[in-house]
Amino acid sequence: MAKAWFTLNVNDKKRRVKIEPDEPLLWILRDDLDLTGTKFGCGVGECGSCSVLIDGIARRSCRVQAQNVSSGQKIVTIEGLGTRENLSPLQKAFVEHTAFGCGFCTPGMIITATALLALNPNPTREEIIEAMDNNLCRCGSYPNVIEAIMAFTNGTKP
Amino acid sequence: MEVTRRQFLKSLGSSCLLYAVSYVPGSGMQKIYSEPWPADKEDIECRFYALDTNYLDCFAFHEDGRVTVLAGRTELGQGFETVLNAIVTQGLDIPSNRLTIVLGNTDVCPDHGPTVGSSATEQVAWGIWEACSQLRKDIIRRAAKTHKLQVKDLIYQGGVVRSKREPERVIKPVETGRGEIVYMTLDPQASSSDRVTLEYKDLGLDNVNAESIVTGTRKYASDLKLPGTLYADWHIPPYHRKLTRIKSVDLADARATSGVNRVERIGSKVVALAERYNDVVKTLTRVKSVWEKPNRPKELRVEEEIRAGAVFQEIKEQTGDVNAGLASSYKTVTETYRTHYTAWAPIETYSALAKMEPGGDEVTIWSGSQYPHRVRELASLSLNLPESAIHFIHSPVGGAFGGKVAPPVSQEAADLSRRVGAPVKVIYSRKNQFQKRGLYKQACVFDFSTGVGTDGRLQARKLDIYQDLGEGTRDTYAAPHILIKHYRTDMPVNQANTRGTSYVQIGFAQESHMDMVAKAIGHDPFEFRRNNVVLESFVPLIDACADMIRYPRSGLGPDEGIGIGLCNHGARQMGVAAAHVKVNRKTGKVHVKEICAAYDIGTIINHRTVTTCLRGGMIWGLGWVLREEVKLDGHSVYTEHLTDYGVPRFSDTPEIKLQFLDNERPGKPRGCGELAVIPTVAAIANAVYHAIGVRFYTTPITPEKVLKALGKT
Repeated sequence: MAKAWFTLNVNDKKRRVKIEPDEPLLWILRDDLDLTGTKFGCGVGECGSCSVLIDGIARRSCRVQAQNVSSGQKIVTIEGLGTRENLSPLQKAFVEHTAFGCGFCTPGMIITATALLALNPNPTREEIIEAMDNNLCRCGSYPNVIEAIMAFTNGTKP
Repeated sequence: MEVTRRQFLKSLGSSCLLYAVSYVPGSGMQKIYSEPWPADKEDIECRFYALDTNYLDCFAFHEDGRVTVLAGRTELGQGFETVLNAIVTQGLDIPSNRLTIVLGNTDVCPDHGPTVGSSATEQVAWGIWEACSQLRKDIIRRAAKTHKLQVKDLIYQGGVVRSKREPERVIKPVETGRGEIVYMTLDPQASSSDRVTLEYKDLGLDNVNAESIVTGTRKYASDLKLPGTLYADWHIPPYHRKLTRIKSVDLADARATSGVNRVERIGSKVVALAERYNDVVKTLTRVKSVWEKPNRPKELRVEEEIRAGAVFQEIKEQTGDVNAGLASSYKTVTETYRTHYTAWAPIETYSALAKMEPGGDEVTIWSGSQYPHRVRELASLSLNLPESAIHFIHSPVGGAFGGKVAPPVSQEAADLSRRVGAPVKVIYSRKNQFQKRGLYKQACVFDFSTGVGTDGRLQARKLDIYQDLGEGTRDTYAAPHILIKHYRTDMPVNQANTRGTSYVQIGFAQESHMDMVAKAIGHDPFEFRRNNVVLESFVPLIDACADMIRYPRSGLGPDEGIGIGLCNHGARQMGVAAAHVKVNRKTGKVHVKEICAAYDIGTIINHRTVTTCLRGGMIWGLGWVLREEVKLDGHSVYTEHLTDYGVPRFSDTPEIKLQFLDNERPGKPRGCGELAVIPTVAAIANAVYHAIGVRFYTTPITPEKVLKALGKT
């Protein structure tokens, strides 16, 4: 396939990239835009490490081709949620609850949980498990992630 | 924080005080001598190579009050950097922002062996804690000498020496000897209390990498990139690699792929390189190759083949006369257990970036490793370069679990970089991560014959271990007559060490078997263990678990059960777990509702790190015993996706309760990550038995097996 110019709206910035239309969004984010917080874990949408928000919905960026994202859609990566100096409340809760082991799957976890909370600000433990179930963590940080999200929704944490 | 040798030496200049601390046996508690810092920078570099082999951890005290620590072992997600940070900030009484810890850089860090077996905290971090105690004393001594003061008038506080008489008087460590290297040897034979004068207090610090992790700014090896970097990955054989060789290869289609830079056959391997990883993936799907079919049956009869090919290795343990002991026992129980093949399956696949210098005689490699110096050594051999020409920089790891000690990916990246004259980043596809190395946690066979007396005490334990390393059999159960033999068999896939090593398999088998021995004489599984454990210190752990999980209890629902498992991980680390499960008779699925565990692991450096690590280990154990399995036969491995494989998920997550008991052995911390896995697998298996009265002799305990056992298929 011939390369073509695409315009993407990533973290509130217009970005122009020249790539093949079937290029997965994952590699555009990582290689063209240097947003490496979005991770490659499987390439087939099974692990959730490459999750990004597209118009507020958590999507697997390894399964989204460039040609299927319009310039009007808002893409938000982990880098767009908060910075080290200004963490999002959910990022703070993840720190507070050590909701990670090696941290490789964590950006995908935070993205997926952010989408969940936007739709359902007070999820139960069961609702959290259901929403997060396709995000895999090999270190087994699941109990901590559940606690981080619960603490956040209970209002006990910022 | 990444510090290259040049940056590091530049930052040191000649105006710091450097302590090089080793833990080799010496006479007396410690010996300290110092020498002037060499004026010539090159000499400093040479000296660091000498330090690599002779000395371990280095502490540099800088003019501006900063301290740099160069230590062995690496951060793998287990929280080792956080542990070290807690120890050094407290040990030297300095704030975190004045401390830089450098790990895993082969140019400046000591070779302190591999980060395996849950030993880094005990073996390295506690050594650094002891060193800090001694450093404080020595710095006071030095300050007294250089400033002509009395030792008794000085205190160490806030990272500096202060005079009790003149509170305004402050002596920075570096003022006691700019440009000096102090060699300090701590004698491991001396008791810890001789060496440690400080009392450690767990302040529950945040993980030091937390902010970079949650913002996505932590750079793993797969995230690193240099200008002009080419991605690479391999085309792998469709058969077990040790049973096949490449016959022919057709690269015409692959070479015609748009975006591909090169596709090459290198020996029996085929590699694709491209500027974009997606093009590497596309190219590899178009490689056509023919491989020799393995010269053996396609069917793999695991247990039969393990027995048929068994070669006796050694007697692991022998006491009394086991046959006589069995003959005179009130009841004997003879059983065989068999385990399955599993994989590390880290979420970050093998990744390494390498940049070979023009001329091909010096290379820098960035990758995650449990043993950077071993990577350097192996790269030196395969690249035919001296070790001094190989700079390995450990990068954050997206999960290791025993699979990233010194994997070939670093050498592959370096070799490819030399071949193509550009930086190369190798990233394994998920399929390659599962299949390329041909290493798996082994299927094992265990033959038990155990005799027990009318009093419920074990009389004789006979055990033949096939394939397992045979660790973890000692020091759990006492008996007057014991014979444990170990056999190995060459199988189509090789042995890999994974989280919990072979303690997991033996833990499952031995603890399942002990439940059956208890049953044979009508004893309660918890009580039976209280009566038979080697170490009395197990009893409070068993009691704690029974308390937490409320055992025995009435009112368990239908098809619910509670089980227990014990583990003595090398006579140093003890753990007990109890699990509460519910078996779904319709689907056959085992739902683990709760796991309670108690550990005796000494001083807790950071309870948040330990808790995270232990919970993760329990979920790993749950995955091993109920979900995960590498599908293979005599010719090939078929597992290539995380979901087929069965990595545990959020929906598998039980409620978890933990207790730390410090019996009679406080002080030195003992490792724990693997300790969480081992008792968990057995506790779950025993809980399933308690729930439905079916003993599973093979793992994993899948819904299919449960349904079959319940007569539902």
